[in-house]
Amino acid sequence: MEDTRQERQRQEVMVVGVDESELSLYALQWTLDRFFAPYAPHFPFKLIVVHAKPSPTSAISLGDPGVIEVLPIIDADLKKVAAWVTQKAKDICNSRSVHDVTFQVMEGDARNVLCDAVEKHHASVLVVGSRGHGAIKRAVLGSVSDYCSHHAHCTVMIVKRPKIEG
Amino acid sequence: MDATTATGTAPLAAGGPVEESTVVGMVMQEPVAAETKLKMKVMVAVDESEGSFYALRWTLDHLLRRSSPALAADGDEVEMITLVHVQQPFQHYAFPAGPGGAAFYAASSVVESVRKAQEENSALILSRALHMCKESMVKAETLILIGDPKDMICQATEQMHTDLLVVGSRGLGKIKRAFLGSGSDYCAHHAKCPILIVKPPKEASKQ
Repeated sequence: MEDTRQERQRQEVMVVGVDESELSLYALQWTLDRFFAPYAPHFPFKLIVVHAKPSPTSAISLGDPGVIEVLPIIDADLKKVAAWVTQKAKDICNSRSVHDVTFQVMEGDARNVLCDAVEKHHASVLVVGSRGHGAIKRAVLGSVSDYCSHHAHCTVMIVKRPKIEG
Repeated sequence: MDATTATGTAPLAAGGPVEESTVVGMVMQEPVAAETKLKMKVMVAVDESEGSFYALRWTLDHLLRRSSPALAADGDEVEMITLVHVQQPFQHYAFPAGPGGAAFYAASSVVESVRKAQEENSALILSRALHMCKESMVKAETLILIGDPKDMICQATEQMHTDLLVVGSRGLGKIKRAFLGSGSDYCAHHAKCPILIVKPPKEASKQ
């Protein structure tokens, strides 16, 4: 019993950023496979899964006066996406039998949301997929993961999907 | 440099079949039983900077925690990491500062002594890193590469099918204000495998 209590005190926090992209959900899954599943049930990290829900005003370009009416519709849509992402993340965690997970949806730009989450939870690791925000087709580091690797105050892990070996 | 980077079938580490089974293990998504853990191939880039040693220390502490004495007895459980050190090639010539100067080539004795110094330097760095691994009861293999660190590290991860590359955040080009050095940034962009960038602890990074 003593050991478990000590371990819990020592337990460090890992924040994983997820969005609707398959790549970030892959990052969550990869992290669970490598860093959690082998250590069951004494997981070395406390896992916090954070989804950054973009604010409706950032999702559209403001200029048209008629746009104000559309905002609630857009917001509802974004909320749906956030719920879907959270559910997907929950499914992935459950499939790997990792149950003590906190899921958070925070509104704002993913870059700031993730760095703030790291500060707030005093995380020791931040995990992001390589194409951070949405489906950017270019094969480069996404702007979110690039920003986080520069600005987060903790260790950053950028998970990339390996190319299928032909 | 090009000769060593032919194809993926010329690995720098152990033989082909072992790596293939590791790849298959990665693709399987079922939760694995405690006995058959997925062995993660971790490569840690070390150089003279304290940041890279801190990265190694972080890796040993966090990623390989389950190496308790009981497990170490069973050789199967101990993780293996690869320590890679990249030596920068010595420029054999120097340009004098005055006008109208031609390049002077360094005498071969100078080249020799510099090469020796570099080798000693690498040996020192790697022995320190190996010592740290030994203390944490982690098996480690070392790799010395010569060339531009950024390129060589990325190529090495590809050839060895590394699962995770660990780098410090700032290497030799120490710009105090930057949180991320150009080398680590390059690797973050170009390495094909997941990369872990270890930042120094807050107390160390005084600004």
